[in-house]
Amino acid sequence: MSTYSISSFESLIKKINSESEFLDTILYETAVPSTEMFRDPSLWRWLREVYFPDTVDRNTGRFKIWLPACVSGGELFSLTILLSELGLSDKVQITATYSSDKILEYIKKGTYDPKKLEVSEENYKRANGSRELADYYRTDKNNIIRDTSLIANVEFRKLNVNFDNVPQNIKLILFRNNLIYYNPTQQDKILQLLYGSLSVSGHLVLGIRERVSGVSTSREFEVVNEAESVYRKRMLN
Amino acid sequence: MGYKAVIIGGSAGSFQVVTRILNSLPKNFPVPVLLCLHRLKHVRSGFVEALSLKSNIPVEEPYDKELLKPGKAYLAPANYHMYVELANRIALSTEDTVNHSRPSIDLSFITAANAYREKLVGIILSGANKDGAYGLKKVHDNGGIAIVQDPNECEVKTMTQSALQLTKVDFVYSTDQIISFLQKLSKSND
Repeated sequence: MSTYSISSFESLIKKINSESEFLDTILYETAVPSTEMFRDPSLWRWLREVYFPDTVDRNTGRFKIWLPACVSGGELFSLTILLSELGLSDKVQITATYSSDKILEYIKKGTYDPKKLEVSEENYKRANGSRELADYYRTDKNNIIRDTSLIANVEFRKLNVNFDNVPQNIKLILFRNNLIYYNPTQQDKILQLLYGSLSVSGHLVLGIRERVSGVSTSREFEVVNEAESVYRKRMLN
Repeated sequence: MGYKAVIIGGSAGSFQVVTRILNSLPKNFPVPVLLCLHRLKHVRSGFVEALSLKSNIPVEEPYDKELLKPGKAYLAPANYHMYVELANRIALSTEDTVNHSRPSIDLSFITAANAYREKLVGIILSGANKDGAYGLKKVHDNGGIAIVQDPNECEVKTMTQSALQLTKVDFVYSTDQIISFLQKLSKSND
Protein backbone atom coordinates (compact mmCIF):
# COMPACT_ATOMS: atom_id res chain seq x y z
CA MET A 1 0.00 0.00 0.00
CA SER A 2 2.92 2.36 0.64
CA THR A 3 3.83 2.16 -3.07
CA TYR A 4 0.56 3.89 -3.87
CA SER A 5 0.56 6.21 -0.82
CA ILE A 6 -2.49 4.58 0.69
CA SER A 7 -2.72 4.88 4.44
CA SER A 8 -5.78 2.88 5.39
CA PHE A 9 -8.09 0.15 4.24
CA GLU A 10 -10.87 2.73 3.82
CA SER A 11 -8.79 4.87 1.48
CA LEU A 12 -7.90 1.75 -0.50
CA ILE A 13 -11.58 0.95 -1.05
CA LYS A 14 -12.28 4.58 -1.93
CA LYS A 15 -9.52 4.63 -4.51
CA ILE A 16 -10.73 1.36 -6.06
CA ASN A 17 -14.25 2.76 -6.35
CA SER A 18 -13.26 6.11 -7.79
CA GLU A 19 -10.50 5.07 -10.20
CA SER A 20 -11.49 2.28 -12.54
CA GLU A 21 -7.92 1.52 -13.58
CA PHE A 22 -6.74 1.19 -10.02
CA LEU A 23 -8.63 -2.07 -9.48
CA ASP A 24 -6.71 -3.52 -12.41
CA THR A 25 -3.48 -2.38 -10.78
CA ILE A 26 -4.42 -3.98 -7.47
CA LEU A 27 -5.27 -7.26 -9.19
CA TYR A 28 -1.96 -7.06 -11.03
CA GLU A 29 0.00 -6.42 -7.85
CA THR A 30 -1.69 -9.15 -5.83
CA ALA A 31 -1.57 -11.86 -8.50
CA VAL A 32 0.37 -14.97 -7.50
CA PRO A 33 2.45 -16.07 -10.49
CA SER A 34 2.61 -19.73 -11.40
CA THR A 35 5.65 -21.44 -9.94
CA GLU A 36 7.53 -23.03 -12.81
CA MET A 37 6.76 -24.20 -16.32
CA PHE A 38 5.65 -27.83 -16.56
CA ARG A 39 4.99 -27.95 -12.81
CA ASP A 40 4.11 -31.55 -11.88
CA PRO A 41 5.77 -33.18 -14.91
CA SER A 42 3.67 -36.33 -14.45
CA LEU A 43 0.53 -34.35 -15.33
CA TRP A 44 2.18 -33.05 -18.50
CA ARG A 45 3.29 -36.60 -19.39
CA TRP A 46 -0.28 -37.77 -18.93
CA LEU A 47 -1.59 -34.95 -21.12
CA ARG A 48 1.05 -35.73 -23.76
CA GLU A 49 0.79 -39.50 -23.78
CA VAL A 50 -2.79 -40.24 -22.80
CA TYR A 51 -5.20 -37.36 -22.79
CA PHE A 52 -4.47 -35.41 -25.99
CA PRO A 53 -3.82 -38.42 -28.26
CA ASP A 54 -7.04 -40.04 -27.03
CA THR A 55 -9.18 -36.95 -27.10
CA VAL A 56 -8.29 -34.37 -29.72
CA ASP A 57 -8.16 -36.52 -32.86
CA ARG A 58 -11.61 -37.90 -32.27
CA ASN A 59 -13.01 -34.44 -31.95
CA THR A 60 -14.58 -33.08 -35.08
CA GLY A 61 -15.18 -29.50 -34.06
CA ARG A 62 -12.59 -27.10 -32.74
CA PHE A 63 -11.17 -28.33 -29.47
CA LYS A 64 -11.60 -25.54 -26.99
CA ILE A 65 -9.27 -25.10 -24.02
CA TRP A 66 -9.68 -22.48 -21.31
CA LEU A 67 -7.18 -21.19 -18.76
CA PRO A 68 -9.37 -19.17 -16.38
CA ALA A 69 -6.57 -17.72 -14.25
CA CYS A 70 -3.70 -17.12 -16.62
CA VAL A 71 -1.43 -15.28 -14.18
CA SER A 72 2.10 -15.47 -15.53
CA GLY A 73 1.88 -17.62 -18.63
CA GLY A 74 3.66 -20.61 -17.07
CA GLU A 75 0.77 -22.94 -17.79
CA LEU A 76 -0.06 -21.28 -21.11
CA PHE A 77 3.42 -21.61 -22.57
CA SER A 78 3.78 -25.16 -21.25
CA LEU A 79 0.49 -26.06 -22.91
CA THR A 80 1.27 -24.43 -26.25
CA ILE A 81 4.73 -26.05 -26.33
CA LEU A 82 3.15 -29.45 -25.69
CA LEU A 83 0.47 -28.95 -28.37
CA SER A 84 3.07 -27.76 -30.85
CA GLU A 85 5.19 -30.86 -30.25
CA LEU A 86 2.15 -33.07 -30.70
CA GLY A 87 1.29 -31.30 -33.97
CA LEU A 88 -2.06 -30.23 -32.55
CA SER A 89 -1.65 -26.44 -32.50
CA ASP A 90 -4.09 -25.98 -35.42
CA LYS A 91 -6.78 -28.14 -33.91
CA VAL A 92 -7.31 -26.23 -30.70
CA GLN A 93 -8.64 -22.86 -29.68
CA ILE A 94 -7.18 -21.60 -26.41
CA THR A 95 -8.81 -18.88 -24.36
CA ALA A 96 -6.70 -17.32 -21.61
CA THR A 97 -8.45 -15.10 -19.09
CA TYR A 98 -7.54 -13.05 -16.05
CA SER A 99 -9.11 -10.25 -14.08
CA SER A 100 -6.35 -7.76 -14.84
CA ASP A 101 -5.51 -6.34 -18.29
CA LYS A 102 -2.01 -5.56 -17.07
CA ILE A 103 -1.40 -9.25 -16.37
CA LEU A 104 -2.60 -10.24 -19.83
CA GLU A 105 -0.39 -7.60 -21.46
CA TYR A 106 2.55 -8.92 -19.45
CA ILE A 107 1.96 -12.47 -20.62
CA LYS A 108 1.70 -11.44 -24.27
CA LYS A 109 5.23 -10.06 -24.10
CA GLY A 110 6.58 -13.52 -23.22
CA THR A 111 8.83 -12.25 -20.42
CA TYR A 112 9.88 -14.91 -17.96
CA ASP A 113 11.56 -14.91 -14.56
CA PRO A 114 15.13 -16.27 -15.01
CA LYS A 115 15.03 -17.67 -11.46
CA LYS A 116 12.42 -20.19 -12.54
CA LEU A 117 14.31 -21.43 -15.56
CA GLU A 118 16.39 -24.16 -13.98
CA VAL A 119 13.46 -26.01 -12.43
CA SER A 120 11.41 -25.44 -15.59
CA GLU A 121 14.14 -27.07 -17.70
CA GLU A 122 14.19 -30.08 -15.38
CA ASN A 123 10.41 -30.28 -15.42
CA TYR A 124 10.35 -30.15 -19.21
CA LYS A 125 12.73 -33.11 -19.43
CA ARG A 126 10.73 -35.09 -16.89
CA ALA A 127 7.57 -34.31 -18.83
CA ASN A 128 9.19 -36.07 -21.83
CA GLY A 129 9.48 -32.89 -23.88
CA SER A 130 10.73 -33.84 -27.35
CA ARG A 131 13.13 -30.92 -27.82
CA GLU A 132 15.00 -28.56 -25.48
CA LEU A 133 13.17 -25.92 -23.51
CA ALA A 134 15.85 -23.48 -24.71
CA ASP A 135 14.37 -23.84 -28.21
CA TYR A 136 11.38 -21.86 -26.94
CA TYR A 137 13.01 -18.78 -25.48
CA ARG A 138 15.79 -16.31 -26.10
CA THR A 139 17.97 -14.48 -23.60
CA ASP A 140 18.06 -10.71 -23.84
CA LYS A 141 20.57 -9.28 -21.35
CA ASN A 142 19.20 -10.59 -18.04
CA ASN A 143 15.72 -11.27 -19.36
CA ILE A 144 14.19 -14.42 -20.68
CA ILE A 145 11.78 -13.85 -23.56
CA ARG A 146 9.60 -16.76 -24.53
CA ASP A 147 8.70 -17.43 -28.15
CA THR A 148 5.46 -15.47 -28.54
CA SER A 149 4.60 -17.19 -31.83
CA LEU A 150 3.47 -20.05 -29.56
CA ILE A 151 0.63 -17.90 -28.25
CA ALA A 152 -0.18 -16.03 -31.48
CA ASN A 153 -3.57 -17.73 -31.80
CA VAL A 154 -4.55 -17.56 -28.16
CA GLU A 155 -7.59 -15.46 -27.34
CA PHE A 156 -6.82 -13.21 -24.35
CA ARG A 157 -9.79 -11.89 -22.51
CA LYS A 158 -10.41 -10.05 -19.28
CA LEU A 159 -12.65 -11.95 -16.90
CA ASN A 160 -13.83 -10.24 -13.75
CA VAL A 161 -13.21 -11.73 -10.33
CA ASN A 162 -16.76 -13.06 -10.11
CA PHE A 163 -16.21 -15.15 -13.24
CA ASP A 164 -19.18 -13.51 -15.01
CA ASN A 165 -19.63 -14.45 -18.63
CA VAL A 166 -17.48 -17.59 -18.83
CA PRO A 167 -16.69 -19.14 -22.24
CA GLN A 168 -18.87 -22.05 -23.36
CA ASN A 169 -18.40 -25.57 -24.81
CA ILE A 170 -14.95 -25.99 -23.32
CA LYS A 171 -13.33 -29.42 -23.62
CA LEU A 172 -10.48 -28.81 -21.21
CA ILE A 173 -10.07 -26.35 -18.36
CA LEU A 174 -6.61 -25.97 -16.87
CA PHE A 175 -7.13 -24.29 -13.49
CA ARG A 176 -4.30 -25.37 -11.26
CA ASN A 177 -3.46 -23.83 -7.90
CA ASN A 178 -5.80 -20.89 -8.06
CA LEU A 179 -8.77 -22.30 -6.21
CA ILE A 180 -6.53 -22.39 -3.12
CA TYR A 181 -6.86 -18.61 -2.83
CA TYR A 182 -10.61 -18.80 -2.23
CA ASN A 183 -12.60 -19.93 0.79
CA PRO A 184 -14.68 -23.13 0.55
CA THR A 185 -17.92 -21.27 -0.28
CA GLN A 186 -16.29 -19.31 -3.08
CA GLN A 187 -14.55 -22.46 -4.30
CA ASP A 188 -17.88 -24.19 -4.67
CA LYS A 189 -19.33 -21.25 -6.57
CA ILE A 190 -16.40 -21.13 -8.99
CA LEU A 191 -16.59 -24.89 -9.56
CA GLN A 192 -20.27 -24.47 -10.49
CA LEU A 193 -19.32 -21.85 -13.07
CA LEU A 194 -16.58 -24.07 -14.48
CA TYR A 195 -19.07 -26.94 -14.69
CA GLY A 196 -21.37 -24.71 -16.73
CA SER A 197 -18.54 -23.79 -19.05
CA LEU A 198 -17.56 -27.38 -19.87
CA SER A 199 -19.04 -29.32 -22.76
CA VAL A 200 -20.37 -32.87 -22.30
CA SER A 201 -17.60 -34.98 -20.72
CA GLY A 202 -15.26 -31.98 -20.70
CA HIS A 203 -12.24 -32.22 -18.38
CA LEU A 204 -11.14 -30.03 -15.49
CA VAL A 205 -7.58 -30.12 -14.16
CA LEU A 206 -6.95 -28.74 -10.67
CA GLY A 207 -3.70 -28.48 -8.71
CA ILE A 208 -2.60 -31.81 -7.22
CA ARG A 209 -3.55 -30.73 -3.67
CA GLU A 210 -6.83 -29.18 -4.73
CA ARG A 211 -9.96 -31.18 -5.16
CA VAL A 212 -13.61 -30.95 -5.95
CA SER A 213 -15.15 -31.28 -2.52
CA GLY A 214 -18.26 -29.10 -2.33
CA VAL A 215 -21.53 -30.81 -1.51
CA SER A 216 -23.13 -30.15 -4.89
CA THR A 217 -20.01 -30.09 -7.03
CA SER A 218 -18.78 -33.52 -5.88
CA ARG A 219 -21.81 -34.97 -7.63
CA GLU A 220 -21.12 -33.04 -10.79
CA PHE A 221 -17.57 -34.14 -11.45
CA GLU A 222 -16.09 -37.62 -11.60
CA VAL A 223 -12.44 -38.39 -11.00
CA VAL A 224 -10.45 -39.36 -14.09
CA ASN A 225 -6.93 -39.25 -12.69
CA GLU A 226 -6.74 -38.91 -8.93
CA ALA A 227 -2.98 -38.41 -8.65
CA GLU A 228 -3.10 -35.48 -11.07
CA SER A 229 -6.48 -34.07 -9.93
CA VAL A 230 -8.19 -34.50 -13.28
CA TYR A 231 -11.99 -34.50 -13.30
CA ARG A 232 -14.67 -35.04 -15.94
CA LYS A 233 -18.02 -33.32 -16.13
CA ARG A 234 -20.71 -35.76 -15.15
CA MET A 235 -24.10 -35.44 -16.78
CA LEU A 236 -26.84 -35.16 -14.20
CA ASN A 237 -30.23 -36.66 -14.83
CA MET B 1 -2.38 -27.79 29.55
CA GLY B 2 -4.68 -27.22 26.68
CA TYR B 3 -2.26 -27.11 23.76
CA LYS B 4 -3.93 -27.17 20.36
CA ALA B 5 -1.14 -28.11 17.99
CA VAL B 6 2.52 -29.06 17.63
CA ILE B 7 4.48 -27.74 14.67
CA ILE B 8 7.87 -29.10 13.65
CA GLY B 9 10.27 -27.58 11.12
CA GLY B 10 13.40 -29.17 9.76
CA SER B 11 15.67 -29.55 6.81
CA ALA B 12 18.92 -31.41 6.18
CA GLY B 13 19.47 -33.99 8.92
CA SER B 14 15.96 -33.82 10.32
CA PHE B 15 14.43 -36.88 8.72
CA GLN B 16 15.72 -39.38 11.29
CA VAL B 17 14.69 -37.10 14.14
CA VAL B 18 11.15 -36.68 12.81
CA THR B 19 10.93 -40.43 12.26
CA ARG B 20 11.92 -41.06 15.88
CA ILE B 21 9.43 -38.50 17.17
CA LEU B 22 6.57 -39.96 15.13
CA ASN B 23 7.56 -43.42 16.27
CA SER B 24 7.29 -42.46 19.92
CA LEU B 25 4.03 -40.52 19.96
CA PRO B 26 1.05 -42.29 21.48
CA LYS B 27 -1.58 -43.38 18.98
CA ASN B 28 -4.15 -41.08 20.54
CA PHE B 29 -1.92 -38.00 20.52
CA PRO B 30 -4.37 -35.27 21.54
CA VAL B 31 -3.53 -32.58 18.96
CA PRO B 32 -2.55 -32.33 15.27
CA VAL B 33 1.16 -32.39 14.41
CA LEU B 34 2.21 -30.10 11.56
CA LEU B 35 5.40 -30.98 9.74
CA CYS B 36 7.13 -28.48 7.52
CA LEU B 37 10.25 -30.13 6.18
CA HIS B 38 12.34 -28.93 3.27
CA ARG B 39 12.08 -31.31 0.36
CA LEU B 40 12.73 -31.50 -3.34
CA LYS B 41 10.22 -29.52 -5.39
CA HIS B 42 9.73 -32.12 -8.07
CA VAL B 43 9.61 -35.27 -5.96
CA ARG B 44 6.13 -35.41 -4.61
CA SER B 45 5.75 -39.06 -3.69
CA GLY B 46 7.76 -41.24 -1.33
CA PHE B 47 8.32 -38.80 1.53
CA VAL B 48 4.99 -39.23 3.28
CA GLU B 49 5.24 -43.00 2.76
CA ALA B 50 8.74 -43.07 4.29
CA LEU B 51 7.58 -41.09 7.32
CA SER B 52 4.51 -43.30 7.71
CA LEU B 53 6.51 -46.51 7.92
CA LYS B 54 7.44 -46.13 11.58
CA SER B 55 4.92 -43.54 12.67
CA ASN B 56 2.41 -44.32 15.39
CA ILE B 57 -0.03 -41.76 14.01
CA PRO B 58 -1.24 -41.38 10.41
CA VAL B 59 0.91 -39.02 8.30
CA GLU B 60 -0.80 -37.23 5.43
CA GLU B 61 -0.16 -34.52 2.91
CA PRO B 62 -3.21 -32.33 3.32
CA TYR B 63 -5.47 -31.02 0.61
CA ASP B 64 -6.25 -27.33 0.51
CA LYS B 65 -8.74 -26.24 3.23
CA GLU B 66 -8.56 -29.61 4.96
CA LEU B 67 -9.72 -29.58 8.58
CA LEU B 68 -6.97 -30.43 11.07
CA LYS B 69 -7.70 -33.36 13.35
CA PRO B 70 -6.02 -34.51 16.55
CA GLY B 71 -3.82 -37.59 16.41
CA LYS B 72 -2.72 -36.98 12.84
CA ALA B 73 0.45 -35.58 11.30
CA TYR B 74 0.22 -33.23 8.34
CA LEU B 75 3.26 -32.95 6.07
CA ALA B 76 3.59 -29.84 3.89
CA PRO B 77 3.25 -31.10 0.29
CA ALA B 78 6.08 -30.65 -2.20
CA ASN B 79 6.23 -27.22 -3.85
CA TYR B 80 3.41 -25.71 -1.76
CA HIS B 81 3.54 -23.42 1.25
CA MET B 82 1.38 -24.76 4.07
CA TYR B 83 -0.55 -22.21 6.14
CA VAL B 84 -2.80 -22.69 9.15
CA GLU B 85 -6.03 -20.69 8.99
CA LEU B 86 -7.99 -19.44 11.97
CA ALA B 87 -10.74 -22.01 11.57
CA ASN B 88 -8.29 -24.86 12.22
CA ARG B 89 -7.93 -25.50 8.51
CA ILE B 90 -4.94 -25.90 6.22
CA ALA B 91 -4.52 -23.48 3.35
CA LEU B 92 -1.99 -24.18 0.63
CA SER B 93 -0.25 -21.61 -1.51
CA THR B 94 2.12 -21.49 -4.47
CA GLU B 95 3.44 -18.03 -3.68
CA ASP B 96 7.10 -17.27 -4.25
CA THR B 97 9.76 -19.11 -2.28
CA VAL B 98 10.72 -17.73 1.15
CA ASN B 99 14.32 -18.32 2.29
CA HIS B 100 14.72 -20.19 -1.02
CA SER B 101 12.13 -22.63 0.23
CA ARG B 102 8.64 -23.76 -0.71
CA PRO B 103 7.35 -25.04 1.66
CA SER B 104 8.80 -22.36 3.91
CA ILE B 105 9.03 -23.18 7.62
CA ASP B 106 8.71 -19.49 8.52
CA LEU B 107 5.33 -19.22 6.77
CA SER B 108 3.94 -22.37 8.39
CA PHE B 109 5.14 -21.29 11.85
CA ILE B 110 3.94 -17.67 11.51
CA THR B 111 0.43 -18.69 10.46
CA ALA B 112 0.23 -21.43 13.11
CA ALA B 113 1.40 -18.95 15.77
CA ASN B 114 -1.30 -16.57 14.64
CA ALA B 115 -3.98 -19.26 14.71
CA TYR B 116 -3.07 -20.99 17.98
CA ARG B 117 -1.35 -18.17 19.94
CA GLU B 118 -0.13 -19.50 23.33
CA LYS B 119 -1.56 -22.96 22.65
CA LEU B 120 1.15 -23.93 20.19
CA VAL B 121 4.38 -25.87 20.59
CA GLY B 122 6.98 -25.03 17.92
CA ILE B 123 10.07 -27.18 17.39
CA ILE B 124 13.01 -26.43 15.07
CA LEU B 125 15.28 -29.32 14.12
CA SER B 126 18.50 -29.85 12.20
CA GLY B 127 18.82 -27.93 8.95
CA ALA B 128 21.06 -26.01 6.60
CA ASN B 129 19.53 -22.54 6.33
CA LYS B 130 17.84 -19.93 8.51
CA ASP B 131 14.26 -20.73 7.49
CA GLY B 132 12.17 -21.25 10.63
CA ALA B 133 14.10 -18.85 12.87
CA TYR B 134 11.66 -15.99 12.39
CA GLY B 135 8.69 -18.35 12.57
CA LEU B 136 9.84 -19.75 15.92
CA LYS B 137 10.22 -16.18 17.19
CA LYS B 138 6.56 -15.60 16.30
CA VAL B 139 5.55 -18.74 18.22
CA HIS B 140 7.47 -17.41 21.22
CA ASP B 141 6.14 -13.82 20.87
CA ASN B 142 2.58 -15.13 20.83
CA GLY B 143 3.14 -17.01 24.07
CA GLY B 144 3.64 -20.49 22.64
CA ILE B 145 6.41 -22.87 23.65
CA ALA B 146 9.57 -22.57 21.53
CA ILE B 147 11.87 -25.59 21.41
CA VAL B 148 15.10 -26.03 19.48
CA GLN B 149 16.94 -29.29 18.95
CA ASP B 150 20.35 -29.15 20.65
CA PRO B 151 22.73 -27.94 17.88
CA ASN B 152 25.42 -30.29 19.24
CA GLU B 153 23.20 -33.17 18.27
CA CYS B 154 22.21 -31.81 14.84
CA GLU B 155 23.67 -33.17 11.66
CA VAL B 156 23.57 -29.60 10.31
CA LYS B 157 23.52 -26.81 12.91
CA THR B 158 22.64 -23.70 10.86
CA MET B 159 18.90 -23.81 11.32
CA THR B 160 18.90 -24.37 15.06
CA GLN B 161 21.67 -21.82 15.64
CA SER B 162 19.78 -19.20 13.60
CA ALA B 163 16.69 -19.86 15.71
CA LEU B 164 18.68 -19.57 18.94
CA GLN B 165 20.23 -16.27 17.82
CA LEU B 166 16.85 -14.71 17.15
CA THR B 167 14.80 -15.97 20.09
CA LYS B 168 15.21 -16.69 23.75
CA VAL B 169 13.69 -20.13 23.41
CA ASP B 170 12.02 -22.10 26.18
CA PHE B 171 14.03 -25.29 25.75
CA VAL B 172 17.08 -26.61 23.95
CA TYR B 173 16.44 -30.32 23.85
CA SER B 174 18.01 -33.51 22.55
CA THR B 175 15.77 -35.76 20.48
CA ASP B 176 15.11 -37.90 23.55
CA GLN B 177 14.07 -34.87 25.57
CA ILE B 178 11.79 -33.64 22.75
CA ILE B 179 10.16 -37.05 22.76
CA SER B 180 9.60 -37.15 26.51
CA PHE B 181 8.28 -33.56 26.41
CA LEU B 182 5.68 -34.53 23.80
CA GLN B 183 4.74 -37.67 25.71
CA LYS B 184 4.19 -35.59 28.85
CA LEU B 185 2.20 -33.05 26.86
CA SER B 186 0.03 -35.87 25.59
CA LYS B 187 -0.82 -36.98 29.13
CA SER B 188 -1.40 -33.52 30.54
CA ASN B 189 -3.53 -32.49 27.58
CA ASP B 190 -6.06 -35.28 28.14
